[in-house]
Amino acid sequence: MILILLGISPVASAADDKLQFSGFARLVLGHLDDKNAEYVGYDNSISLDQQSLLGLQADYHLSDSFSLTSQFVGYTEDQRNSGLQWLYLTYHPNNALQVKLGRQRIPFFNYSDSLDVGFAYPWLTLPQQFYDTAFFSTFDGILANYQFAINDWLINYEGYWGRFDDKIYLSTQEINTKVIGLVGINATVAYKNFSLRASYNQGDVNIEQDEAELFSQLLRQVGFTQSADWLNANGLIEFYQFSANYENLNYFVRSEIAKMVGEGGLVADIDSFYISAGYNFYPYTLYISYGKKDLHFDHLANEIPFGVSPELDVLAATYLGALAQFPDDKSAGTKIGLRWDVLSNLALKTEVTYVEANDEISNDYAVKDLGGFDGEAILYQLAIEWVF
Amino acid sequence: MKKTCAFLILFLLSFISAAIASDAIIVVANTDDKSIQLSRQQVRNLFMGGVIPYDLKAVALPPENQTRVLFNTKVVGLTESRIQSYWAQMRFTGRKTAPKEVKSEDLVLKYLENNDGAVGYLPAGIALPNDLTIIYTIQ
Repeated sequence: MILILLGISPVASAADDKLQFSGFARLVLGHLDDKNAEYVGYDNSISLDQQSLLGLQADYHLSDSFSLTSQFVGYTEDQRNSGLQWLYLTYHPNNALQVKLGRQRIPFFNYSDSLDVGFAYPWLTLPQQFYDTAFFSTFDGILANYQFAINDWLINYEGYWGRFDDKIYLSTQEINTKVIGLVGINATVAYKNFSLRASYNQGDVNIEQDEAELFSQLLRQVGFTQSADWLNANGLIEFYQFSANYENLNYFVRSEIAKMVGEGGLVADIDSFYISAGYNFYPYTLYISYGKKDLHFDHLANEIPFGVSPELDVLAATYLGALAQFPDDKSAGTKIGLRWDVLSNLALKTEVTYVEANDEISNDYAVKDLGGFDGEAILYQLAIEWVF
Repeated sequence: MKKTCAFLILFLLSFISAAIASDAIIVVANTDDKSIQLSRQQVRNLFMGGVIPYDLKAVALPPENQTRVLFNTKVVGLTESRIQSYWAQMRFTGRKTAPKEVKSEDLVLKYLENNDGAVGYLPAGIALPNDLTIIYTIQ
C-alpha cells in the first residue's frame, strides 16, 4: 500500500493549486522483551501492525479565505477506527484569525491533534503514560484560533465547542460514549525559544455501562443510595493541562502535566506528566524522556452489611466485585531514543522504553498483565516516518 | 570507543558549521513602505507562520540550500529537521502552511520583484534592484 503511494506522491505535488494532496505514513516495528505482558499493543513477538499507519489529506481552496480539508487515516492497529479523522471548513480572513467548522481533533494536549503524524515529534512513541489518558480524539463542532504579537511575545488563543458521539476503547471493551457540551480553551505564549501552554477542557459524559446501571438501580431500591450513586459513570469530566518547552539549535526540553477529574464514581481521576530532554546534532536528535501516570478512583467504603441476610451478602459481594473491576492504575515509562532525519521529509527512529507498573495494572491502558507479569518490561522499537 | 569517536567527529563538525556561519544574511522585501525594519523575532515569526504587524508574505529557499542553513541557524534558531517537523505538525492539523519555496537566490530575487509584499532571505552582498528594501540584517 505504502509502495503504491510512494509512486503517487510526485503526481500529488504537481496537482492543481486549488486542490492539494499531502500525507504522512509511519512504519513501526516493535518487540517487548517480556512474555507476560503487553505494552502499547506489543507483545513478545515482533510486530509491525501496532502503530503503523497511513494518512492522506486533501485541501481544497474555495477562495482566499475559505478552504475545505479532509484527512483520512488508515490504522493497522485494531483498537482504532480507520476512516475520516478530519473534515472541516476553514474561514481564514487573515493571518491572525482562523475558524474551523466540522470534524476535528480535540486539542487537549500539545500533540493531541498530531498524534498520528510521527514525523512531527521527536519520540517514536509519544510519552504513553501521558497520552494514554485522552480517551477520545475527535469532536464535531467549531474551533477558533486567534494569534497576536506584543513586542517579541507571540500569543495564541484557541477555543472550541462541540460534541463527541462514538465508541471509546478500553482494552477490555468497546464503550459507547456520548459527550455533550464539550468545550475547551487553551493559550500558548511564546517568547524567543520558550513556549508555555495551558488548557482547560470539559464535557458532560454519558457512558453506556448497562450492567453498572442496572446494579445501581437495584441498590437504590434497597436504599443504599451512596453506593448506587458511586456506580455512576456519567457526569462532568474536566481536563487541565500545562506545558513548558524550550528549544534551540542544540537542545530541547519538553514537559507536560495534566489532571483529569471525573464527577462520576466510575470515572477515574488521573494525574500524569512527562519531561523530556534532547540533544540535536543535525541530522540526528538524541533524547531521553520520563513519563508517569497515576490513575485512581475515589473508592467508597462498602455500606452494605455482611451477615445480616443471605440476600444482602450477595448484594455486598456483588458491589465489592464491581469495585474490584475498577482498580487504580499506575505506571511509568523511561525512554531513550535516536531520530535520524535522512531526508527533509523522511526520518528513521529507534527507541528503547523501560516500563514500570509495580503496583496495580487494570489492563485497560497501555500496560497489560498477561499473567505473572513482574511489573517491568522493555520495549524496543524501530520506525520510518514519512511525510509527503 | 567507536561511540566516543563518532561524538568527537560530530562535535568538530558543529564547530566547522559554526565557522561557515560567519556570513551575513539580509531579509529583503518588495514593499512601498521603505521605513519597515523588523526585529529578529518578527523575522522568525514571519517565516514560521506567526503574525507580524505588516502584510508581508515569506518565500523560502529549499532545505539543502546553504543560505537557508545560515538563516535557520542565525534567525530561526532551529535545525532543519525541527523546522520540517514543525511544518508537518502545522499542515496536518490545518493551522498553517510553510512558505512557498523558490529554488535559488536568483529566483528569489525575481520572485520578490514580481510580487508585492513578498519577503525573502539572501546572502549579504548580493546585488539588489532599487525597488527592493532590506528590512533586516544579521551578521
